[in-house]
Amino acid sequence: MLLTTMSTESSLNAAHFERSLSASAVDHTTNKFLSEDCKKDQNGNEQETPKECLLDQTANGHGEKLEEISCRFRNGHAEDGADLSDKIAALKVESNGLSTVSEEEKKEKVKGEVLGKPPLPKNKTNSNAGKQSWLLRLFESKMFDMSIAISYLFNSKEPGVQTYLGNRLFSFPEDEVDFYLPQLLNMYIHMHDVAEAIHPYIVYRCRQSVEFSLHTAWILSAYSADVLKPNWKNSQGIKLKNMILNEELRPKVDKKVGNLPSPTMPSALHPFTATTPSKKTHSRSKSDATGIYSKLTHSQTTGNLQKSSTGDLSSGRAFDSGCICVQSSEGIVNDLTGKETVCHCGAPRLKPELEFVNALMNIGTRLQHLPTKELRTSRLIAELAMLNLNLPARVWLPFNTSNHHHIVRIPHTQAIVLNSKEKAPYLLYVEVLEVENVYSSHIPGKRLENTLRFTKSEEDLTTCYSRNNGSPHPEFSIYGGSEFDDAECWSQEDDEILQFAVKTRSVDTLSQFSVESTTSADSKDPVYIAAGDIRKRLSEHFTAPKSKFERDPEDPSAAALKEPWEEKVKRIRESSPYGQLPNWKLLSVIIKCGDDLRQELLVYQVLKVLKNIWDLEHVPLWIEPYHILVISNMSGMIQPVDNTVSIHQIKKHSKKSLKEYFIQEFGAVNSEGFLTAQRNFVQSCAGYCLVCYLMQVKDRHNGNILLDNDGHIIHIDFGFILSTSPGKNLGFENSPFKLTHEFAEVMGGLESDMFEYFKILILQGLVASRKHMDKIIPIVEIMQTGSGLPCFGNGVNTIRQLKERFHLNLTEEQLQLYVDQLVESSLNSLTTSLYDKFQYFTNGIL
Amino acid sequence: MNQEAGTDLKRTHGHAVLLRKSSSSKMALKEKVVQIYESFFQGEDPSVGNPNFWDEFFLLRPNIPFIEGEFDKVSGEGLMMLKDNLNTLFYKAVESLKEDNVIRVVNAIYTMSALVRGIYRKNFGGFGFDVINILIGFDAAETVMQEMVENLNHILNGEYPTAIKQQVLKFIMVLATACDNISQNTLLEYLMINSVFESIIQILGNVDLRLVLGADAVQVLTLLVQYRKYESANPYIVKLSILDDELALTGYAQVVLGALSDFNREYQCRSTEAQAGWFSAFASMVGNMFVPDEKHVSAVRANDLVLLALYEAIHLNRNFITALTHTHTPSTPTTPPSSPTVPMSNPLNDPAPALQNLDKALLEQSSHPTNLLVTFLEYSSIVMQDTKDETRHSNAKLCLVILTCIAEDQYANSLMHDVNINFRVKLHRMPMRHRKVKVEKDTPSRPLVCALLDLMVEFIMSHMMKSFPLELYNRCLGITQRVLCYQKKCRVRLQYPWKELWTALINLLKYLLSNESNLLKKHNNIFHLSSKIVNIFNLFITYGDTFLPNPNSYDELYYEIIRMHQVFDNLYSMALRYTTSDGESKESAARLTNHLVNIKAIINHFSPKVDSWAAANQLSSLTEEQVLDVVRANYDSLTLKLQDSLDQYERYSEKPRESAFFTTLVRSVVSDVRKSVSNLAQYHHQVLQSVAEM
Repeated sequence: MLLTTMSTESSLNAAHFERSLSASAVDHTTNKFLSEDCKKDQNGNEQETPKECLLDQTANGHGEKLEEISCRFRNGHAEDGADLSDKIAALKVESNGLSTVSEEEKKEKVKGEVLGKPPLPKNKTNSNAGKQSWLLRLFESKMFDMSIAISYLFNSKEPGVQTYLGNRLFSFPEDEVDFYLPQLLNMYIHMHDVAEAIHPYIVYRCRQSVEFSLHTAWILSAYSADVLKPNWKNSQGIKLKNMILNEELRPKVDKKVGNLPSPTMPSALHPFTATTPSKKTHSRSKSDATGIYSKLTHSQTTGNLQKSSTGDLSSGRAFDSGCICVQSSEGIVNDLTGKETVCHCGAPRLKPELEFVNALMNIGTRLQHLPTKELRTSRLIAELAMLNLNLPARVWLPFNTSNHHHIVRIPHTQAIVLNSKEKAPYLLYVEVLEVENVYSSHIPGKRLENTLRFTKSEEDLTTCYSRNNGSPHPEFSIYGGSEFDDAECWSQEDDEILQFAVKTRSVDTLSQFSVESTTSADSKDPVYIAAGDIRKRLSEHFTAPKSKFERDPEDPSAAALKEPWEEKVKRIRESSPYGQLPNWKLLSVIIKCGDDLRQELLVYQVLKVLKNIWDLEHVPLWIEPYHILVISNMSGMIQPVDNTVSIHQIKKHSKKSLKEYFIQEFGAVNSEGFLTAQRNFVQSCAGYCLVCYLMQVKDRHNGNILLDNDGHIIHIDFGFILSTSPGKNLGFENSPFKLTHEFAEVMGGLESDMFEYFKILILQGLVASRKHMDKIIPIVEIMQTGSGLPCFGNGVNTIRQLKERFHLNLTEEQLQLYVDQLVESSLNSLTTSLYDKFQYFTNGIL
Repeated sequence: MNQEAGTDLKRTHGHAVLLRKSSSSKMALKEKVVQIYESFFQGEDPSVGNPNFWDEFFLLRPNIPFIEGEFDKVSGEGLMMLKDNLNTLFYKAVESLKEDNVIRVVNAIYTMSALVRGIYRKNFGGFGFDVINILIGFDAAETVMQEMVENLNHILNGEYPTAIKQQVLKFIMVLATACDNISQNTLLEYLMINSVFESIIQILGNVDLRLVLGADAVQVLTLLVQYRKYESANPYIVKLSILDDELALTGYAQVVLGALSDFNREYQCRSTEAQAGWFSAFASMVGNMFVPDEKHVSAVRANDLVLLALYEAIHLNRNFITALTHTHTPSTPTTPPSSPTVPMSNPLNDPAPALQNLDKALLEQSSHPTNLLVTFLEYSSIVMQDTKDETRHSNAKLCLVILTCIAEDQYANSLMHDVNINFRVKLHRMPMRHRKVKVEKDTPSRPLVCALLDLMVEFIMSHMMKSFPLELYNRCLGITQRVLCYQKKCRVRLQYPWKELWTALINLLKYLLSNESNLLKKHNNIFHLSSKIVNIFNLFITYGDTFLPNPNSYDELYYEIIRMHQVFDNLYSMALRYTTSDGESKESAARLTNHLVNIKAIINHFSPKVDSWAAANQLSSLTEEQVLDVVRANYDSLTLKLQDSLDQYERYSEKPRESAFFTTLVRSVVSDVRKSVSNLAQYHHQVLQSVAEM
């Protein structure tokens, strides 16, 4: 509640605050800086306008130490005489200086917490400034976090405050800032003053991290899509995006090492077109690094003729930036000594990953044009096989959590087209090798699919030639499971050994008889078997309870998703040539093309915050925010939730009610398995009911609700939220959230204790969320700015209504009644069942 | 100098002035190059005293027919006399390959081709002299040939116009096809020592080069693999068998796929035309009856080399299987133009303009992803329709050999049975009297092995004819057995209508029985074939629990056997007849009776039960359902004998059984290729033009 009062006071304090920061000079310099940021010198670097004054200003709040460092640095470089590089260096030091400060702060904080003491005042110099504003005191307080920062960046019109906040960004942990990146960048696009304030931070991060650059570029391109007419006020987003994509924001390596391209060379502006290094390197790396090279390239003779083939999928090197630093002798030495190899050959940093994502999106686009699911599936497999030719490569799935890996193979036959009529989203598994550093670790050499098969007679004479790549992958089977282990090395001689192996495993089949019969072929004792046994075994196989869904060509995803993740990983690992490597991992991703995922991203952020709030308040509500990656306003990636199938698929394939399915999967009603699953169901259901209510999530048919193998439900597809709903906003589903009697049945009926628990959970969740409402509202509110997202169709009302749904004015008792009412009306909602019927008739969703 | 030579060339080319200005000779108009050739063949050396002679000579357009004609005129001994001149000429040509001037390079290649061909012509005349000595000279041969191969490799790998690379490949083909018997072609020994393998692989791995040169590269490689295949360790065999460059292998597969799908498409076009109307269909059928389809046969023959290439890759290279099932996406206009990706498909396979005439269904079909195996199965279905004449028979045989190799391969099987890898395979069926050609527009996408089994069933059903192709039948049943063995071993329950296979097999038995005497006259081994059929049934009977798709199919198997019990009874009595008589087929007949044990047990067990049930219920005939009920009720009292090695088969091996077949095949392929490269000269103009455009 403190915050709200603070914000009302902010305007009062603003003037005072401005004075305390004396930031007017900063304003001018950054303004100038932004207006000139598109002017570059031939080196592709920005011609940085004088920034020293900015430095001085910021130093005001943070002590002289910083200034000292930068001065020293400046002096050190003064000998160079180069004015330009001097300034660049200065800027860099400024940012470095700030981040070191933050490091110290963090350490201090940690120390303080460990010792059980309140954190020390951050800076000695600060404490003597007695006349601080409330706002500044807030900003300096320990409760100040990113959430408050972005909300003030958004609300404050004071340049001083904005600049201060822009600089404070440097002191936050990177992942905290990254969470709010969509908000920051949306403000960057639509609010010129904020852009000025946060520009240095974003540029600094872009230079540092490829990952950050990519995310920034993607978000910028997605959110500036609505900017129809770029003008001086809102073109900065596009400019920044182009800067990033043209690889102008590279880390500043030692200028002496980096070979400065001559200014007369036009290609220097686009470093990635000039990938001549790839040619000269082949000979060099061969001679310098024979050891590693011979391992990496086996009969790869295609290199010499190709120039820059980045992006050309048929070249087999589409995701190869042409960088040779890692493969060079220097790279190998660094690898051995444990140092990091920094690329200095000028190869494009972002290109490989961009091309990879681009290739995935292109596949999605192509699939859209195919009429049937069958065609799409076979086409998808074909396209991915093509992609596979270019792997392994220095590419990765760009989700924040799973950063450090190289993609080595796509098990293309496992990919599935998901259920959708017009769009063709698809689910893709990727095999990755985890590495310490994506940019400097070695990419593994190519391994072919079938490393070990029986040797043909012609090959025997060539054994001396055949390359010995470690222990060849010993097993492969497409169906997995122990019963297929003998599907291997199948030569006549091996047969008996294998059958013996089968026998020792005492599998109850005929094979053991045949072993006896073949091994004792000479003895004329005939073996007799009963026809009845054969028939019995056959029917037993089919009556055995199955946890799998039968494969359905019309709905290929059902069977694939039903397979438990662990089993799938095991199966794919066994069939993969890279499977036996210790750092092998399987990841999955959904590629969506032609869909705007910006709303999904927004909901993800809200869910994440809600989850944190509920954890903080110890309310046992369960939700599963899944990662969303927005690539453009028409494409993106979704991280699939493991071990889930949609309720629609459950009902269709098991032909059971939800409760019956629970009993089948988890055990009898009173068993521990069922009760645990039931509790999970209730907690997740309560969580999502609340989410659906707060965010007004619509289009809640059973295809959009998943059930995981612990009994949790998980809502997906947030295409209709806040003020938009399917069917031209006619209000098809006017109930607060989707709660069917079937759900209630799983909970144990309307009168049961679990159902009461369910209602209590909703209330607790609502109370907790209300308490931290200020963390939620800004996320949504900022995204409304300048956005053409349909969920903001009601304009300002959207946010007002959202705020109203938290019911700040109700007492807890009143709130409880209100929740009961919500549940009641949801259960009895005609429209819910109507909407389900409508979906059944139009889309066949049960 | 160079400029002068250039103008010189222009003149010769234009045939305006055929003599050099400086030449004072007033002889009849004669190409200058011919003049030089003449002096060479008269034993003179026109290069003496003219240091620029060779530079100029290779700027002149070679006259290949003239050189070859000169060789015809010279006697064997005369040729001996010319040895030095020829050696110099050849050596200089090899040297010129290094030139920067592409015109000289092209002309040198042509000159060498002409020399090689000319000399080998002599060889046919029965002269026992050594070609290498006359052409290159024994002492220099090794170094000259090494230099030649190095230069050729340099051109193939370097930044040369594609047209020149193509000429190099053609030249290697000339070398490889100089003799009828490729293994006697001693010139190839030098290509064994100095390999061009890597250059060829590089061409196959490069998309742009492959589009133009792929077919030639694969041909060259296939030919070189054939050299002394059974005698020595041919480095091309070794290298091909361990090749693991996925791009090159895919490229290889695409080249083969392109050639086969061209054939398929053409066939498709013709058959859709033929189907246009009832009358035209009838007319063309009548027409086909009287006029053997020469063109078609020659087209099939032309595919021998392609199939041979496919065979070698599958047979030798373990990694090729991946490429075999590596899906190939047809390019579609939907590819966003902004994307920098080159269209991913091979233009060889792109819908040709001719395709536009075809109906929409075909176009839709063409948008299906396909792979080499799919295309190959379709091709096989076309070729297998008619195996009467020699060419088609051997082509069909090669197809079945390849399929045998595939069906034996564990990895190929795992891919073919993968339920995630589904394809629509268009299998063509022969129109026959007793059935209409089923136009199956909507064959569903299924695992590839279903198409393979369909093809086998179709073959079994459509070749019960007077000229009974026993060998092909044996292979066909072998393939079926291999697939079943895989399923048994790996417990793959394929959703396949097995009844069709059973019916086909029983029909085949029926045919064998009714043509017993006829067939025995020609091939005495119908008992062996019958045993194979019976053993496939035995696989189902004893191991059905491991691979049948559902319990009912096991009942149906019994139903079919009981229903057709007469066929098996007759087969048994026929076999018994031969075991008692002392004939050469006594043993195989005895084996057949042994194999029939279980089937007889089934018939003896169930028939009385079915009859008594019918009697009890006073029915004269029973429905299938009723019989199945009886069968289900009476399993328990039936005991079966487990037979040995039902799931064993002799692995395919080329040596020694098939070597005769392949030797003949290679012979005919060599002569075909020789014909195809015989008219090199006509490309000369084209090549120079494309070089000029560079």
